[in-house]
Amino acid sequence: MPIRLTIDGQEVEAQEGQTVLEAAREAGVWIPALCHHPAVSPYGACRLCLVEVEVRGRRRLVTSCCYPVAEGLAVFTQTEKVMGARRGVMELLLARAPDSPTLRELAEKLGVTGPRLPKVTRAERDCILCGLCVNVCREVMGAAAISFVERGVEREVGPPFDEASEACLGCGACAAVCPMGTVDLQWHETEVEIVPFKNRVPVVRCRECGKPITGLPYAEQIKARLGERLAPAVELCPTCKRSAAALAQKKAGTAGRAYVHHAKTPYPDQAPRSPERPGRASEPGAHSPDRCSQGVRAK
Amino acid sequence: MAISRPITCVEDLQRWREEVDARLRADRITVTVCTGTGCSAKGARAVFKAMGEALAELPEGLSVELKPTGCHGFCEQGPIVVVSPSNVFYQNVREEDVPEIIQETVVKGLPVERLLYEDPVTGEVARSSSEIPFYQKQMRLVLRHSGNKDPGSIEDYIAGGGYASLAKALTEMSPEQIVAEVERSGLRGRGGGGFPTGRKWRSCREAHGEQKYVICNGDEGDPGAFMDRSIMEGDPHAVIEGMTIGAYAIGAHQGFVYVRNEYPLAVERLRKALADAREHGLLGENILGSGFSFDIQINRGGGAFVCGESTALMASLEGRVGEPRAKYIHTVEVGLHGKPTTLNNVETWANVPVIIDRGADWFASIGTEGSKGTKVFSLVGKVRNTGLVEVPMGMTLREIVFEIGGGIPGDKQFKAVQTGGPSGGCIPEEHLDTPVDFDQLWEVGSMMGSGGLIVMDEDTCMVNVARYFTGFLRDESCGKCVPCREGLAQMERILTRVCDGEGQEGDVELLLHLCDVLDAAALCALGSTASNPVRSTIRWFREEYDEHIRERHCPARECRGLFRYEILAETCTGCGACRRACPEGAISGERRQAHRIDQTKCVNCGACLEACRFDSVVKV
Amino acid sequence: MTIESAPPDYRAAAEEVVERYRRNPGFLIPMLQDLQQEFGYLPRPAVELVAQSLDIPLSQCYAVATFYSSLTLVPRGKHLLTLCLGTVCYLKGGKEIAQHIERELGVKPGETTEDRLFTYQPVNCLGACALAPVMMVDDTYYERVKTSQIRKILGAYGWGGENGKDGDQ
Repeated sequence: MPIRLTIDGQEVEAQEGQTVLEAAREAGVWIPALCHHPAVSPYGACRLCLVEVEVRGRRRLVTSCCYPVAEGLAVFTQTEKVMGARRGVMELLLARAPDSPTLRELAEKLGVTGPRLPKVTRAERDCILCGLCVNVCREVMGAAAISFVERGVEREVGPPFDEASEACLGCGACAAVCPMGTVDLQWHETEVEIVPFKNRVPVVRCRECGKPITGLPYAEQIKARLGERLAPAVELCPTCKRSAAALAQKKAGTAGRAYVHHAKTPYPDQAPRSPERPGRASEPGAHSPDRCSQGVRAK
Repeated sequence: MAISRPITCVEDLQRWREEVDARLRADRITVTVCTGTGCSAKGARAVFKAMGEALAELPEGLSVELKPTGCHGFCEQGPIVVVSPSNVFYQNVREEDVPEIIQETVVKGLPVERLLYEDPVTGEVARSSSEIPFYQKQMRLVLRHSGNKDPGSIEDYIAGGGYASLAKALTEMSPEQIVAEVERSGLRGRGGGGFPTGRKWRSCREAHGEQKYVICNGDEGDPGAFMDRSIMEGDPHAVIEGMTIGAYAIGAHQGFVYVRNEYPLAVERLRKALADAREHGLLGENILGSGFSFDIQINRGGGAFVCGESTALMASLEGRVGEPRAKYIHTVEVGLHGKPTTLNNVETWANVPVIIDRGADWFASIGTEGSKGTKVFSLVGKVRNTGLVEVPMGMTLREIVFEIGGGIPGDKQFKAVQTGGPSGGCIPEEHLDTPVDFDQLWEVGSMMGSGGLIVMDEDTCMVNVARYFTGFLRDESCGKCVPCREGLAQMERILTRVCDGEGQEGDVELLLHLCDVLDAAALCALGSTASNPVRSTIRWFREEYDEHIRERHCPARECRGLFRYEILAETCTGCGACRRACPEGAISGERRQAHRIDQTKCVNCGACLEACRFDSVVKV
Repeated sequence: MTIESAPPDYRAAAEEVVERYRRNPGFLIPMLQDLQQEFGYLPRPAVELVAQSLDIPLSQCYAVATFYSSLTLVPRGKHLLTLCLGTVCYLKGGKEIAQHIERELGVKPGETTEDRLFTYQPVNCLGACALAPVMMVDDTYYERVKTSQIRKILGAYGWGGENGKDGDQ
């Protein structure tokens, strides 16, 4: 049953179980958020997505990423209070990572002019401790190779005991979700390294052209899930995969009938659910090997 | 003569109580020795041991009972020994005093004058605690057993009527009636939030789900607060009884007591109490034959102030780091392990048996319109009578500090009283008539908090107080959300600069701006109340900030480097003690001649002041 | 070090502690505290074994071990020097004592002296506010402490020379 609410006076229809942020995004209303990602449960750490909601005549500031939609809810995304809070948070973020292009761009959009606060942490990385890498690794990939270490302003993300983790899959999900471009995959001769976490795993290369595809543990995991017939998904790079598929269709005489082929062999696009992960509808393209094999992170 | 089989019906409980009462009513002499942490640190255990040995040597026919008890509250005067039935109250008792107490008081029934309490102002000597001003104005409900019951004895608890409320709740009331009773009483959470307890119970009772939990928050992280510790150590059964009644009302069958790691004695006492309660059928399966089953587990904190916050506490109970989460969906609906959970503070739970016993109307007759019942405070700092006090809501801060607390020692001037710990604010002299009440304390820029009342005098630098609390919170911040993690570090840096004499014009405004960001954007109460110490000190003591920044001078003469030490020539005897004490050789002077401090060499350590016996070194 | 080659006492200790709390991961903190009680700190193999035994990620155990103040992964000194820096103690001279200790022992909060004699751990309230400022060495309380007494108190435990050099013992 659809839920009707208003965002900045505009009537919006949402689904039960959605958050205000999700409803706003679907309605085309812009709310900044750095620690949010559709693949990961809301965390509410960056505080940039703050909005004002009015319930029974009372207004308060809430993080839209965590706040459930409700019938008749009035949401305000551009009030003085909201803008002031967002700018204040942005200033604090800039103090931590003053040279980050992500932060600078967002700060400009929010109308914050230059950092006026000094750095108060020993940390050198451009990391805002949004938790996306930690949460995606644990909750979505089920690996939990990295976690938060220590607490407070000297908190960091890293593998246990600051050594390469045996649990790392080399899937690159952490790099894919990092909003700052700080987590990255570095491809070496026989290994892929997750920077800056020191995790390294053997790399799987395309058996045709030799381009790196993904980390070996992740490849094994996918093969186990997909079964023998679909193993080529992690043995060939996207280009070679397309060539192989085209060749196979030519041989089978089904070229030009791609639709029929796909309808008979459904391609799973959902990740298996780990016990703690709340039930969610399939997230678009989050887990397909193609995305990970590109080694590209969202900017 | 303890009944060892589990008690399976209310009549048996009653019979047991009558047996114990009869035994205790016999004209026997009781000697109690306080073994709370405060008194123990002053040697109370040695006193207890000596007392036990000496009593064992008494001739037969003189039956004397020796009991260790929980905290009397008058920690300044500990170790405390009380001899009944005449209730003779002895303070500052040492091991050497034991033989005299036995000979004079126990055997002959005469008091040992020098161990009696003497009022420092009037000089009057008090025989029993009811004659001591510190106790006269108190109303000890939650602390009713502390000081006169052995916390390790379930029998002692039963004797006073313990577990009668539970029996009443299980056999004469329905869960709905219990919730209604607590609602009508007006009881509000004693942990700091002040949320109406009855409303919380009702929401949890009505939440969907078969499996529910109750939790006792014994994390008491506010520095200077030890109310919950005293209750857990001194009257653990009261907490257990309260939780069982609450669980019955809500429909929970599993409870947890979360005790902070720094309270090993509380854990020990609770463990024993739980074991005894189980053994006697007052906890566990089919309690008192009622069909209701409920049990409690103790879990220890790991050393994190943030775990006093309910969702962080629950995360800790799930074996995770103590990170809070948004509470747009309340924990009474989705709490521990995702189940409906009622979390209440130790003192809140300890109030429940009292309410069930005496009734909501009686409870609501105590206190103010918005704040019913009593509150336990730890009265500490620059005050004569430091310790634990319990007063009816509505008593003014002035009454507590001056009439119960005995005022400021050393003829110093009162400056401020800090309530609510790191989440609270400082209240100056002009608002001392503020009654202790959730809403009225909020209005003067502070809050009730868990009950810490820290008294400060003219020698306390209020900027340093703000710096202390901000630094504390920065250390304890979990680090999840940006405003708290980054904002507190920024604020501490500014406050440190100011206290070091490097403050800049605009620092106060910047502090207030950061306070605004925290208020608006912080995820949990640690961050969102962190601005209180800073805001309240700026509000009431702005001139101190200005003097630090503009004149590089600390008016309270506490911030090192921002004041001078000087020797008063008129009173200096030239004894040379200061000269010898000075580590920098900054003091010069001939014997029997007034000495002088070379300010260019002085490092402000204060050794000279400590060494001088003629009050001739002053801070300027 | 792989789990299999860990010294047997870590394995037995970890198993025992996990059993003590009925393999319930909710009791991870008390489990680690009990282990720390036994070894004086949390040895890495012990932490790994607990994670394995409970079937929870090692990263979770490591996060917990580094988050909570009472847990340490680094061996502690022979004596634990606890200084109360609760509000009352702080205002009644605790701040000066802290500075004095840091200078005298040459350590920062949480650190251990070079000769491993003391680990210095300030805490935020011992609940003995009437006796402020309060200090503890292991289980012994020292009340109403003055800076001038520090060296003598520490000396009773074998603290001898200046800046971390052990003189007498």
